[in-house]
Order: sequence, then C-alpha cells, then structure tokens
Amino acid sequence: MISPVKIWRRQKEIRKILGKKGSIVTFTKIFIPGSDFKKYAPYFVVLVQLDDGERSTAQLVDCTDTKVKIGARVKAILRKVREVSSEDVIAYGVKFKLINS
Amino acid sequence: MLSIIGYYTTQFGELWEHSLFDLVEEAASGVLKSTSIEKKQIDAVFFGNMMAGVLENNLLSSAKIAEVLGIHVPIFRTEGACASGGMAFHLATRYIQSGSAKTVMVIGGEKMTDYSPEEVTDALAAASSGEEQEAGMTFPGLYGMMARIYLDKYEYTEEHLAHVASKNHYHGSLNDKAHFKREISPEKILKSPYVASPLKILDCSPISDGACAIVLTSDKNLVKRGKGVEVVSSEMATDVISLKNRKSLDSIEATCIAGQKAFKKAGITRREVGVAEVHDCFTIAELFALEDLGFWKKGTAGGKIKEGEGKYGSTSKLIINTSGGLKAAGHPVGATGIKQIGEVYLQLTGQADRRQVKNLRYGLAHNVGGSGGVAVVTILGS
Repeated sequence: MISPVKIWRRQKEIRKILGKKGSIVTFTKIFIPGSDFKKYAPYFVVLVQLDDGERSTAQLVDCTDTKVKIGARVKAILRKVREVSSEDVIAYGVKFKLINS
Repeated sequence: MLSIIGYYTTQFGELWEHSLFDLVEEAASGVLKSTSIEKKQIDAVFFGNMMAGVLENNLLSSAKIAEVLGIHVPIFRTEGACASGGMAFHLATRYIQSGSAKTVMVIGGEKMTDYSPEEVTDALAAASSGEEQEAGMTFPGLYGMMARIYLDKYEYTEEHLAHVASKNHYHGSLNDKAHFKREISPEKILKSPYVASPLKILDCSPISDGACAIVLTSDKNLVKRGKGVEVVSSEMATDVISLKNRKSLDSIEATCIAGQKAFKKAGITRREVGVAEVHDCFTIAELFALEDLGFWKKGTAGGKIKEGEGKYGSTSKLIINTSGGLKAAGHPVGATGIKQIGEVYLQLTGQADRRQVKNLRYGLAHNVGGSGGVAVVTILGS
C-alpha cells in the first residue's frame, strides 16, 4: 500500500501537468509489471515531450497498438494509477491519451 | 601499484539450497584458499549488494560478513543498483590508495530467486525515479524505450539485438559457472515473448543467485607469490536518475565519462584492449557500451555484432563478454561487477579455460547501475 501522505505530496504536482499536450519521444509496452500494476498489464508507457518544453513519463491509455508511434500527439489526463486494496486511499495520477485519433 | 591477486566465484543460477551469506561465505573462503592468504592479512572488506534490504529484510551486512569470516576489520557495503559490485571495487582501490589498507577483499553477492518476478521487478524499480515508478515503469521498460530510439535512429531491427544474446549464450556454453550454459540461436530469441517491447525475454539478463570475491593488494610480497594483474585504472561517473532528463536516449553518458577517464588514466588506446566485459543487462545495453566506451563508432555496434564481431573464436581484435555476459552467465545484481572484473582477471592470467583468449595485454570491465545513473569502468593489465 502507498501511504496517504505520499499520495497527498505527489498530488500537488499533478495539476501542473493535467491537460498539457505533447508528442511521444519513445515508448514501450510492458508485459511483465511490478505487483501494483499487474491488473493493467500489458500497458504502454510513453516518454512525452510536452509543448511547454518539459518532459513527462507516464502510461498511455485508451489506445490501439497501431496508433502508438514516435511523434504521435498526446494529452495529459487524470487516472487511477495503481492497484490498491479496498481500504486503501485511491492514488490518482497522470496518464496520457492520444489526440486527433 | 594495485594488483588483483585472486578471484573466486560461486556457481551462478537458481541456488535454492544457499542463502545470501552462504554464497558470500563460499566466495570469501574460496578466494582466500586460491590466494593462499590468511584472514588476518585482510585489512578491510567491501561488499556490493543491492537488494537484501528490500527483498529479505537483511541489513548490516558488515556484521554478517564479520560473523561469517570471524574478523573485526572495517567492512563496508555499497549500493549502486546493478553497479553495486563495481562501486565496491572502485571504493576499495581508493581505500588502499589513501593508505588506510594494504590488502582488501571485495565481495559482490545477491540472492534473487527466492522471490516472484513481480517482487524482484518491484525491488529493481526502486532504482528508478518516483515518476517512473508511478508510471508502472520497469527496468526492461526503461531499456526498451532506449532500444526503440536506437533501432529507429540507425535503422536496425530486433534481429540485431538477438545476435548480442546469441553470442553471449555461446560464451556462456564455455563457462562452467554460468547460469545458462547452452547456445540459443537468434531465430529462437526472436520468437521469445515480449517483456517490455521491443525487448523480449531472451534479450534480458536473468534473475540469478551468486557471489564472487576478489583480493586486491598493494603489498609487493603478496603480488610476487601468485598470479597478479595490475589495476591500471578504475573510474566512476554518475548521471541523473530520470530517463526523461538525460541528454541522450541512445547512449549512457555516465559510461562515456567513466570510460574516457579510465582510458586517460591508463594511457592506452582502445585497440590495446583484447577482452571486455561490458554491462549487457539487456541486449541493447551491450551495443550502447561498445559505442560509449569508444571501441566502435556511434550507431555501428548493431551491425558489427550481427556480422560476428566480438565472438570468441572470431578474428576480432576485441572479444566481448567471454563470461557469457549478464545475459548467459547470469545477473546476481551485486555480484555482477565483481564477476566482470574477475573474468578479465582470469583471461589476463591464462585461467579462462575453454574460452581463453590469447595474447592479451589489457582487459576492461564495465558495470552500469540503473538505467545509466552510475557507471564504473576498470582497466586491468598483465
């Protein structure tokens, strides 16, 4: 489980990136994840060059394999980020989705 | 002058009958026996280990090694992810050079196979950035991202990567201590399932148990007695933890820096190096290493390996990963850096058995931690 304090500390950073757009620099599709991400596998993780000059690493969701390419345009969205037990605080974080597709 | 006067490695593999400190004990007593020196001649011990604290709630290894060896000298544990062993060796050289000791034992060890792939994946991911961990990123994933850029930029395919693993499995078949002692064809590697695209299971080094030990000394009398090789240079460099903040995504800058410093200090050229143990945690990492260390031009390693360069028995000037590399010899994380230096020691002293390369003057060992946050480069000379 991830502590509520850690979630609170991290979530202050999330709003800074939500809604931002950018392009995929590189990506991988993870088939063997760590224990907290087993439920989501296989999933894409992308490294994104945001239009404001920053870079971000997060999962890419709601996509079909053939559309995931270097250079594809994406947008930062808010999603649940890891598998937790029923009594844990739900951790939200940034993921990306493809745009114009 | 600093010399390595002995090396011992346990078998690498799934060693369910041995605990971490069983393996450490075997490695330490093995190296003492092979060098015919006594425990009381060891002035300090450096121990490379990454995960005992995370995986098995096992810390204060200083006292555990003191108990195993029955000694009271200073014992230090270093953690640099997969470069924990190389880091231990690097610190040991500086410790002797500072005048604090004459003779030091450097041990590397890791116990990994008691745990599920998810548990080991979690533990390894501790050596990535918070953002990467939150994205569900894994180590194969980080190298997968870098591999995609390299393949795309230099127009290589997954087949080029497969030839790295195939070569190293051939070398592993010549090393009795290797985790995998069988050859695997590039075709079979290409058919193996993905772990983190474009990397497949047979592009990845395995989860292994094992320990190794080296005795390093500045005592001329000890050097005279046995088979010694000189530590010509040992250099280390670091870089940012986050892949997204690296200057380049198709090379490891820490390797470039440590390599340049090591060659400058040694005062030799790349061509004088006959064997190299480079960090092939994933096939792509071996290609980066050969380019970043300056052996081959940027973007050419994929083609050269496919043509058979670096393979034992070929006409190459540089034979790469004769131990089988991390891929086939196995990758007990903390032990790897010591095994690499030990393999070069075996080669330079003519003890490399069925994989012995002839007419060697210098050899190099290259150990990387994380996705490139740490690199240690060691050059040995006979």
